[in-house]
Amino acid sequence: MTTSRLDLGHGIGLRTRHFAQFMAGRPPVDWVEAVTENFMAPGGRPISVLEKVRAEVPVVLHGVSLAIGSVDPIPERYLAALQAVVKRIEPALVSDHLCWGAHRGQYVHDLLPLPYTEESLAHVASRVHEVQERLGRQLLLENPSSYVAYRDSSMTEWEFLAELTRRSGCGILLDVNNVHVSAHNHGFDPQEYLRGIPVDRVGYFHLAGHSDKGKYLLDSHDHSVPAAVWELYRAALHRFGRVPSLVEWDEAIPPLDEVVAESRRAAAIETEVLAPAERRLAS
Amino acid sequence: MTLAETQALFHEILTSAEPVAAERIEACFAGTPDHPASERVAIYANMYLWRLVDALRETFPQLVRYLGDERFAALAEDYLRRNPSDHHDVGQVGRRLAAFLREHPDPERPDLADLAELEWARHQVFFAPPAEPVGPDAFAGLDPASFSRTGLVLSPALRVLVLDHAAAPLWRSLEDGEPPDAPSPGASAVAVWRGGFDVFHTPLALDEAIALEGAASGDSLATICAAFTGREDPAAAAHAALGSWLAEGWITAVAQPRDVLAALDRRVARR
Ligand SMILES: [Fe+2]
Repeated sequence: MTTSRLDLGHGIGLRTRHFAQFMAGRPPVDWVEAVTENFMAPGGRPISVLEKVRAEVPVVLHGVSLAIGSVDPIPERYLAALQAVVKRIEPALVSDHLCWGAHRGQYVHDLLPLPYTEESLAHVASRVHEVQERLGRQLLLENPSSYVAYRDSSMTEWEFLAELTRRSGCGILLDVNNVHVSAHNHGFDPQEYLRGIPVDRVGYFHLAGHSDKGKYLLDSHDHSVPAAVWELYRAALHRFGRVPSLVEWDEAIPPLDEVVAESRRAAAIETEVLAPAERRLAS
Repeated sequence: MTLAETQALFHEILTSAEPVAAERIEACFAGTPDHPASERVAIYANMYLWRLVDALRETFPQLVRYLGDERFAALAEDYLRRNPSDHHDVGQVGRRLAAFLREHPDPERPDLADLAELEWARHQVFFAPPAEPVGPDAFAGLDPASFSRTGLVLSPALRVLVLDHAAAPLWRSLEDGEPPDAPSPGASAVAVWRGGFDVFHTPLALDEAIALEGAASGDSLATICAAFTGREDPAAAAHAALGSWLAEGWITAVAQPRDVLAALDRRVARR
């Protein structure tokens, strides 16, 4: 399975704070990403808003509770709910995170890192198969931000992701901010990370802000995309070419215009980085 | 360590009230000299509770107003230690908070459990499946002789609560920022429902609540009306109640009782 590199353009996360504006007119962005679990309820305002938006622009469903790396079986209740919302919304892509977060039926509602071992790799690959079989479509997995590593890890995160996508056929949602945050927290080179990710597997980028907590960077999504992340985004464009981008903003969410402006900036940087190369190709 | 052992340890670090021994943490997790593993896992442990407390805050805004941030956080922490999330939707984590408050009542405000039950019902109906209510003339031409063969299908976005205290006035004063009156004990019924995208609730007379609960479980119109026999004019009271249910959009079908039961079965199967 190759990752379909859809020409989605530049989008933003659909958040409750902006529902009224999304209902009032056409979304001012190329596409939106919706947090899957927030739209699994069969009724109420969220799903109505999403259906309205879906009629106007492409939607990507982005889950936070699949817990692909948990040793717990994936609950049937979750798979059925995921399948139902995928059927209802017909998203352009379906993604979740390379992490775990459920233990013996209890959810911690966090994206906990996995030890990068052969055991984890075999486990996650088989779970990706299970989900892709069930949905009848490709799943994309996002690299998490992390604050701690495991003594047992025998490979880097990028080696793990590259091998996982080769074995399972999953796509990669590359969160540029998470690469920056984890590189800082664990002391690896973010450029080396980018070089380790197979070009044809990246379905889209995440862009977001983080906060400096002194000893570490926290993936907080509470302000605009910082300069260091824009820099890494440029490097990613050089390596991966034209890839759709998505701006995430989850805390201290500003008015819609401000989030949209971030997404426009992503589009402008893409043009700046790729236009010279594309002109060369055309001539 | 196996993946299962690793996850069991990490989970214990996040959820246990007692700190996990540093040697066990250091044996599994890697850190750096200036940022050791135990400090690194503590980042996750601190975020774990706050994330869930935040979710509870969103579901129980009036309870937060009454208790204030600090007391609410302490209550939430107690509750979460005993009632961790067992649902993929973090919004479901407050499902047992009202029951928890009943088991551990606030000595000054035993009605906080009732307030929590009301707020939980408001949260539930917000996300309930949509259903089209019947029109205002749904009862027109219905022969009273057929009442024993006719039932009602009620909206899936309607809940009837029978509480130990009047929670609606407490909710109202908190909503308006007024000091609440003393708790008023005694059975008290409330209907909670969604109209459009908005959630409403209103106090109900106890006999009307019984009639509604009966209707919800498939009673015939004759039985529903019989709930009002204690009134001075039972027929007029039943007529007024049914008229208001219709006007609020609580009725989604008027049907033979067996069709009502079939509709209920379908609804249960969908859960
Ligand atoms: Fe992300």
